[in-house]
Amino acid sequence: MRTKGSARDFWARLQSIDRRWIYLVVWLVVMVPLIFPFRIRPKATPPVEKLFEFIDAMPQEKALVLSIDYGPDTQAELQPMLVALLRHAFATHHKVGVLAMVLTGLGLGENALSQVASEFNARAATHDDSIVNGEDYVFWGWNTPYITVMLGMGENISKVFPVDYYGAKTESLPLMRHLKNYADVGILVSLASSSFPQAWINLAQTQFGVKLGCGVTAVSAADFYPYLNSGQFSGMLGGMKGAAEYEQLVEEGMAKAGENWRLRARGTEAMSSQTAAHLAIILFIIIGNIAFFANRRRKL
Amino acid sequence: MQRRIPLILVLVTGIFGALTFFIPHRTVQAADESMRNDVQRIITAFSLVLGVGSIVQHHLLKIRRKAEHWQYSYVTIAAIAISAIIGVFGGLDPARPGVLPTHIGSFSFHIQTLFTNMLVPLGATMFSLLAFFMASAAYRAFRARTVEATLLLAAAFILMLGAVPLGRMIFGPLPSFAEWILAVPNTAAKRGILFGVQLGIFATSLKIVLGIERGWLGGGGK
Repeated sequence: MRTKGSARDFWARLQSIDRRWIYLVVWLVVMVPLIFPFRIRPKATPPVEKLFEFIDAMPQEKALVLSIDYGPDTQAELQPMLVALLRHAFATHHKVGVLAMVLTGLGLGENALSQVASEFNARAATHDDSIVNGEDYVFWGWNTPYITVMLGMGENISKVFPVDYYGAKTESLPLMRHLKNYADVGILVSLASSSFPQAWINLAQTQFGVKLGCGVTAVSAADFYPYLNSGQFSGMLGGMKGAAEYEQLVEEGMAKAGENWRLRARGTEAMSSQTAAHLAIILFIIIGNIAFFANRRRKL
Repeated sequence: MQRRIPLILVLVTGIFGALTFFIPHRTVQAADESMRNDVQRIITAFSLVLGVGSIVQHHLLKIRRKAEHWQYSYVTIAAIAISAIIGVFGGLDPARPGVLPTHIGSFSFHIQTLFTNMLVPLGATMFSLLAFFMASAAYRAFRARTVEATLLLAAAFILMLGAVPLGRMIFGPLPSFAEWILAVPNTAAKRGILFGVQLGIFATSLKIVLGIERGWLGGGGK
């Protein structure tokens, strides 16, 4: 009798466990793999592979445009994508244009550009190998409203961004001589934590036919699959996993080209933490369900 | 008159905005470009002033009335003032200094430092709290009570395992199956929802342009 009562107590107590214990477990499963990471090599999924291959095969005269449509809240997932895309573009000698649709994305863009440019410049032997602002990339900055920016860039980018982020006249930059509007853009990738990629489809692709790709947070990735399947997006990176897969492809590509630099890949590093967190949540759901059904059976 | 002028403005600009997509004539396109590049930007600039004014007024009022958590309003106002002053007069970073000195010895407090060391960790912290709430909610509420809930639970398991490289180690085709769930059943459902939402947006926009829906004017559309 006593055993039956204590078993009932156990399941009831398990169901109403103090949430702080759950928080503690989540904290541990996230923190421990970050401190002692176990290396997991991600294998690229088709949407990631498509984007990588598209940029890889892009003609040299076509530029990659990156739109930073996210802020610091989602930078853990999206910043590794931005860094990996910049590395890919610079490694394949493509010109890059960067803009921000979200004001707080400006600082993130500046951080990523200075990080990747210094990675390449530290290993550059000649001027041709180095990454120079205004020659290899341009940071247009932020402008508003987004409709004006997205439509205006199809006509004249310099008119939408008369000065760049650093205050230089956009038209005076050597890169801008070959980057007038969407006709000179190979692909525009919107890295977003909101619905900006859809706005790019509506305004830039439908009107001017520019090729689009997107990098989005894991929670919103499901929203963009209809556009990926219809071919409106040439590829997509979804969440930290998408970032890690892209980092892997870039690393392999650079290694093939003799640039085996072993650069820090934050998306890949975080995969061990994400794996542990997902397993913990699955375990929580299983335990919660067992406790629920055990309790219900006793009540019947 | 107070209501008629905004209604006429919305009617004219709404119809004009739609027509420019269909009329490629140079005059119409030039007028459209001017509307987008000049008029919209001017309106947005005014809205920025309005936004800053509104937030400052709101917090000053909170402080004056000693409303709940009024102390935090000082933090908001101070953050707005400091970042605006440093942002406007302090330059972008040490390589691009402004008129205001933004370093004391080797300690720099230019706008990029403030952003990287304050806004980025604060924003990331707020978003990361989601993981804790999600774990707690999954433990308490995610129950296989019905067939539908069980299906949802199974899909969640597959997607969660498929979203990490370990999924492939457990069962090789799992990531491909997770990808299939996203690409086929998810897309089918999303497309249906999107069609409904877009038709709803179109109908509401049309009602606003034609002046049938007047809630945006204030006063409950009276």
